[in-house]
Amino acid sequence: MADRVNTGVEGLDAMLNGGLIPARPYVVSGPTGSGKTILATHFLLEGLRAGEPCLLVTMDEPPSEVKANMGVFGWNLDRLKILDATPDVRAHKRQRSVIDVGTSLDVRDMEDVQGVRQSSQIRALEVSVHSVQKMIKQEFSQRLDRYKERYRRVVIDSLTALKMFSMQGEDSRILVQSFMRFLSELESTTVIVSEHLNPTQIETEFFLSRGEIRLHKWLDGNVMRRGLSIEKFRGSAFDDHIRPAQIGKTGLVVFPNMQAAFRSETALAGSGEAFLESRIIGEVANVLDSVLRQIDEAHRRQIPIKNIEVAVSRAMVHFQRRHYQKALKQALACDSELRQLLGESPPPPPPTAPPRPPEARR
Amino acid sequence: MIGLGKIRTGIAGLDRMLHGGLVSGRPYIVSGPPGAGKTILSMQFLKEGLEGGERCLFVALEEPPNELKINMRPFRWNLDDLDVLDANSDIRRFEPTPIMEISTETEPIKMRALAERIRKTPDFESKEVSVHSLQQLLKNLFIKRKYHRVVIDSVTALKYFCMREFEEILTTQSFMRFLTEAGVTSLLTLELPEIGDVPPEAFLARGEVRLHKLRDESGIRRFISIEKYKGSSHEEYVYPFEITSAGIGVQVPAAAPTPAA
Repeated sequence: MADRVNTGVEGLDAMLNGGLIPARPYVVSGPTGSGKTILATHFLLEGLRAGEPCLLVTMDEPPSEVKANMGVFGWNLDRLKILDATPDVRAHKRQRSVIDVGTSLDVRDMEDVQGVRQSSQIRALEVSVHSVQKMIKQEFSQRLDRYKERYRRVVIDSLTALKMFSMQGEDSRILVQSFMRFLSELESTTVIVSEHLNPTQIETEFFLSRGEIRLHKWLDGNVMRRGLSIEKFRGSAFDDHIRPAQIGKTGLVVFPNMQAAFRSETALAGSGEAFLESRIIGEVANVLDSVLRQIDEAHRRQIPIKNIEVAVSRAMVHFQRRHYQKALKQALACDSELRQLLGESPPPPPPTAPPRPPEARR
Repeated sequence: MIGLGKIRTGIAGLDRMLHGGLVSGRPYIVSGPPGAGKTILSMQFLKEGLEGGERCLFVALEEPPNELKINMRPFRWNLDDLDVLDANSDIRRFEPTPIMEISTETEPIKMRALAERIRKTPDFESKEVSVHSLQQLLKNLFIKRKYHRVVIDSVTALKYFCMREFEEILTTQSFMRFLTEAGVTSLLTLELPEIGDVPPEAFLARGEVRLHKLRDESGIRRFISIEKYKGSSHEEYVYPFEITSAGIGVQVPAAAPTPAA
């Protein structure tokens, strides 16, 4: 059996039959707030512990925020090299020249990261695939010259951001393909953070990656639960269950010997993602139902509820756009406000209480 | 089924579902979501051919051949004589240089001779694979060495990276037509999205074997079905299958009619 690369996440290596196969790109996917960045950071931290050179390419969060956020876990990431590919505030004036990030920025140690880089007054940095590629390549060859070693672990956080900033248009698939090829040729083990934006579409990075680790997040009554599954892993056997996961003081932990607590029967039918979505849709529909009934009641009693009606319509817009989390939050807020206004307990079946925030969040 | 020569797929259960195997000389689709086992199935198809002394070709469009070699190792199949054609495009250049198409003289490499490390894009020129150059290349190869079995992995990559978007369907259709005229029995793997419609390529082939991936309490469960099979009867049901160290195994109950081979 070939050597494996540890992910640093407790429990995940066991699911991967020992770890990731080295020198290949992998995708970590999941909805927002499911812990993708935390997983990726675990991966880097594990490398640092073993004394391997590691590189983080950040496109979502400025390095200062990454540092602050990960400081919460008390991790020492000082030796992590970080490549800041966050685009500047766009200069909306013509005469200012736009430069690619690649030609002007350096890689820094996490240690030296201070505040947010201020957009320059004269020029705004834009990010393109090309520039990011060039930067990574430069950094790799410098590292090789100076220390005679290559980066062993690389994290791209996130490809979704890169795609949105600079891969719009008809060439996008080819650009992603080329970028994936570029990452493969680096021969580092790469973790790419990406979001499944549309499950009805086959997105390039998912079928080109050699494996996909998917994070799940769903509401169980009023508790937020988390899970992790491996959707694809080329060249290896793996644990194919959705296993429960937790984000606590020490970061992300997976429990490979436990069953994820799906209670509903529908869990049997649907695939993970679809099932989670149907759960939350049901939840939102319930709350909206009760809100609407209370609005009728308020109309009958002629209580002015203009602002609540506006809020409800906003919740419905979220619902329509499939932003279920936001819709649920909005609907629950309306629900509790209406209850206060109407005084006595409303006649409709009691909807669930607002969800308690999960015990540990970033 | 008189007059139609069938060949075995290398998976006993699947042959039973196909009432004897695949009608030779035609293109077929193997479809399924990522991680369903398409590449493994097509490898078994090629292995079966190699064992019968046939010439087989694997066209790699989404996975570098060196990784394919490593990934297939746990199965301990003898694939040494398999020809592998690396049709992965290089890293694109962003400088305005003329596009270099993959040479129509490119030769496939025997599995046993494949390098362990990934092929690197040269510093000064990048080769791109377009459907036209690939087709020409295959045409030359088919004349030079009479291939019996060919796998295109995957037609999705071919569509995404080697064609222009507005002519996808037409070009895919013409590519399949080309395979038919070449007289090779070919499997084309096709990625399916997790939810939603089947891409139109599925309708162009003579048959489609679909792999399904479902999640339940016991993990991922895999199923296989024949969606379409022109010129032959076949099993209509969906059967469970497993991927083990021996590859894909389909459990078709003995009650299923035995092939009239």
